[in-house]
Amino acid sequence: MAEIAQHNQQQVMVEAKDLHLGFMVAKHGINNMKDFLFTFGIKQPFERKEVLKGVDLTIFKGESFGIMGRNGSGKSTLLRAISGIMKPESGSLKVYGKVAPMMALGVGLEPEMTGEENIKLLGILMGYSNREIKDSIDKIIEFSELSDDDIKSQVKRYSQGMMTRLTFSITVARDPEILIVDEALTVGDLGFKKKCAKRIMDIRDGGGTIIYVSHHLDEIKQICKRGCFLKDGKVMKTGNIEEIADLYSREVSKKRL
Amino acid sequence: MPAEYIYQRTPLSKHIYLTWTLAIKSLKVRYKNSVLGFVWSMLTPLLYLAIFTFIFSQAFFDIENYPLFALTGLIFWNFFSGATVTSVNSVIDAKGVLKSIKIPAIILPIAEMISSSINLLLTFVPFGALMFFLGAQVGFETLLLVPLFILFSMFVLGVGIFICALNIFFRDVGLLWTTLMPAIFYFTPIAYSAKLIPEKFLWLINFNPVFHYISAFREVLYYNIVPSAQLWLIISSLSVFFLGLGLSVFLYLEKGFISNY
Repeated sequence: MAEIAQHNQQQVMVEAKDLHLGFMVAKHGINNMKDFLFTFGIKQPFERKEVLKGVDLTIFKGESFGIMGRNGSGKSTLLRAISGIMKPESGSLKVYGKVAPMMALGVGLEPEMTGEENIKLLGILMGYSNREIKDSIDKIIEFSELSDDDIKSQVKRYSQGMMTRLTFSITVARDPEILIVDEALTVGDLGFKKKCAKRIMDIRDGGGTIIYVSHHLDEIKQICKRGCFLKDGKVMKTGNIEEIADLYSREVSKKRL
Repeated sequence: MPAEYIYQRTPLSKHIYLTWTLAIKSLKVRYKNSVLGFVWSMLTPLLYLAIFTFIFSQAFFDIENYPLFALTGLIFWNFFSGATVTSVNSVIDAKGVLKSIKIPAIILPIAEMISSSINLLLTFVPFGALMFFLGAQVGFETLLLVPLFILFSMFVLGVGIFICALNIFFRDVGLLWTTLMPAIFYFTPIAYSAKLIPEKFLWLINFNPVFHYISAFREVLYYNIVPSAQLWLIISSLSVFFLGLGLSVFLYLEKGFISNY
């Protein structure tokens, strides 16, 4: 409780109260017109699948917050809600800042275009202005450690590691207010991983908020201080990352019912 | 209880700039890897023009200056088929981005449409020269191409986003559209004149919206007349109707997109 009291002084960045969220899925795999036409009218073709069943969560400014949970526990959906991609159905969700997601490998990159053109493209997708991209392009290239030749060649000739470098460098270029990292550091060599982790902590120390999702216990312990454990669309526990990581290890070793 | 939801809104100007950037990107990518590049977008109508001229100019001998007649229809048909087909998969192709960044999905088909429109305007330069060579007249009525083109793009955009939205739920729709393309092509008087259609079937062709646009373009470019007020009224209503239909269906179905990409 002392921990909560300490946080009371801080500014809240993300606050979820009894957050419910789900989506419509096609029942028994209706994926074509024929099934649709035959079942429509007789059966409801879609059913509501609730993924988040009352999430309570508070994330403060300047902290890195870890989210753990088994596959299908609702981690990605929660992140999408925070990013504003999926709207809450009931409950409340308040996000007081601009969210920058760390994108999965190759997402948002146009393989036919050069690294340099992709910096502009992905930058604009992330909401940077032209001016901001011009100002930070040198920094982005420098951070990615891609050579001049690489940056001028088409992204389809990049290795996976190079793509990750490019995406990460663009994402962190403008010190995002809320940075979402979803198991993104799994590709890339050890040197770059360390550099990414350092950059993430720099952003945090500069007042940015980090939301970090990972299954790697060491990685998450290194980056986060506090975290939560999601189970079946609910927050099972919020607290010190060590406790969360222990809970996670225990839960994972349990057999699924 | 209604959900309470607070988040930072992105200004519209950023969305507009993003749409423009994506349109230019799509245009660049379209021709980046091909040797002939831009020439490709003219090759398809030219090839059709050659085939039609070779085959039909004998059959339809009563059409004066058949190559010009066919070309004035083909260019706009090519825009219609190209723009709708590219916009069908635009949202599905960008699913990775849409799952991680908050951007309105409708930006993607709009960007494709802008890119196709720019492409049409660019090909209009060599085609204009070709039409002139084939004996087209330029006059005051040529200026009417601008409002006609705006109305036509509204219609094409409406059709494009309508199919695009349905295609996310049922992939058959996109395949069906591609299959239907040649059928709609022959159902539209492009290679032949509407005058050839027997009187008793003429009412049927009025249900083909593309027919009205092609007629208007042809009246301006081929017959050098100002389309009648009735024709203007028809195409304006069609444009408003289809754009409204497309937008409302797209925005209605949008919340279900994320689980069906």
